[in-house]
Amino acid sequence: MRDIVIIGAGPAGLSAAIACREWDLDTLVIDEFPKPGGRLVGQLHQEPDGEWWNGIKETQKLVDKAEAFNTEIKCGVSVHHIEKVDNGFAVHTNQGVIDTENLLVASGAAESPAPLPGWTLPGVMSIGAAQVMTNVHRVRVGNKGIVAGVNVLSAAIARELQLAGVELHSMALPAVNTVTKDAGNPKKVMDGLVRIAHLAPSAFLRFGSKFAKAAWIRNLAVNFYPKGGVKMWGMPIHIRKAIVSINGTTQVESVTVCKVTADGEPVAGSEETIEVDFVCIAGGLYPLAELAAVIDCPFQYVEELGGHVPVHNQQMETPVEGLYVAGNITGIESSKVAGAQGTLAGLSIAKKNEKSNAELDIKIAEAMKQVKTIRETASIQFHPGINAGRKKVEKAYQAYEQANA
Amino acid sequence: MDHTIICRCEEVTLEDINNTAEKYGCSARELKLRTRAGMGYCGGRTCRPAVDAVVQEATGEEPGNNLPLKVQPPVRPTSLATLGGQHQS
Repeated sequence: MRDIVIIGAGPAGLSAAIACREWDLDTLVIDEFPKPGGRLVGQLHQEPDGEWWNGIKETQKLVDKAEAFNTEIKCGVSVHHIEKVDNGFAVHTNQGVIDTENLLVASGAAESPAPLPGWTLPGVMSIGAAQVMTNVHRVRVGNKGIVAGVNVLSAAIARELQLAGVELHSMALPAVNTVTKDAGNPKKVMDGLVRIAHLAPSAFLRFGSKFAKAAWIRNLAVNFYPKGGVKMWGMPIHIRKAIVSINGTTQVESVTVCKVTADGEPVAGSEETIEVDFVCIAGGLYPLAELAAVIDCPFQYVEELGGHVPVHNQQMETPVEGLYVAGNITGIESSKVAGAQGTLAGLSIAKKNEKSNAELDIKIAEAMKQVKTIRETASIQFHPGINAGRKKVEKAYQAYEQANA
Repeated sequence: MDHTIICRCEEVTLEDINNTAEKYGCSARELKLRTRAGMGYCGGRTCRPAVDAVVQEATGEEPGNNLPLKVQPPVRPTSLATLGGQHQS
């Protein structure tokens, strides 16, 4: 029986593994992808201070450090079930069952769909798939594409595609339907855009960000949004145009785009056809928590964190004895926050065996502080209400503990 | 009329789901069983948030703390050999 099995070799899982190995725990990291790093390996962007954040290099740093501590990392291992057994867990994988006393689920996030007519044609992919193909597998996803969905994630990845020399016609909204709803509403999208405005060298968007708190300014910006879109890195971003269908017989050949009102209603007769051979659908991220669900961890719905998250405390413990969580499974945030949460989770797991260790207590307090510091200085924020969302989860944990005391 | 496919594995359209939700006023689970949305190869990994969104719209209820659709193992496509205790190499 292992001391700890970590599911997910992304920034959270690897950081946790390093902390666990520093405290000499028998640690195994598993990941279903062939390479470690999780979604970190796809990331490439320039920070506001001009420094480049290169996910491949950041991953290598983490892997090197983990290997220096003789951490066992197994890739290509997929977990399909977890059972609670005496003194721990049985982790069912495609490589057999692994027994462990403690378990850290750092499974990250999944992409929400933004279904549009024609989205099942070859050549349509999620924006995350385009990122992995481009930055991880070095495969050109197409010759000319368009992005359906304007949000923090899609803007960052659109930039990465541009850097790789992949031509994008523009970014526009997905047409409103029951599923896409807010993603197709220009006002809601503008609320999200002002959060990434500092990443855009555009006076118009910077103007918006200054007054991000004033709704009337944002409404003004939506109502008078330039017809040619606002250019970010030379690529037009349209929030008053929506992709109403993706067309083609055996693969993507074009998209039909129409103008929309400030509330997202299509303007009749404004349709135009744009020739593209690929479409990236960006519906946003939600915490991938299925493995916490199969071992009956209680959940809390927190919109600010991206949906249903496993209930956990500030030390990343869940109410299920021996079960910990870290990274995007706890809420959608940047990979830096995920890494800090991983370190904290690793220390919390070490604490189980070293109950009265003053040095460890200090490290845990520091790690908790570090999570907050990184959250506050993150250049990409997925939701403005992150702190409020985090508080809701903490309260849920306390309520759960009291009810079961 | 919205023929947009929501569940790709079972080819269930948004119209199918919306109409079923309206006609039966169903829970997420009932909606899944009636339309087969989310019951294909991928185990609902693609359409789960979409089905949740349609149910929320149809019932007008805010999401609760419990997951609308129960998560059942296996949560990944798994071979019978693996389930039978034989490991892939």
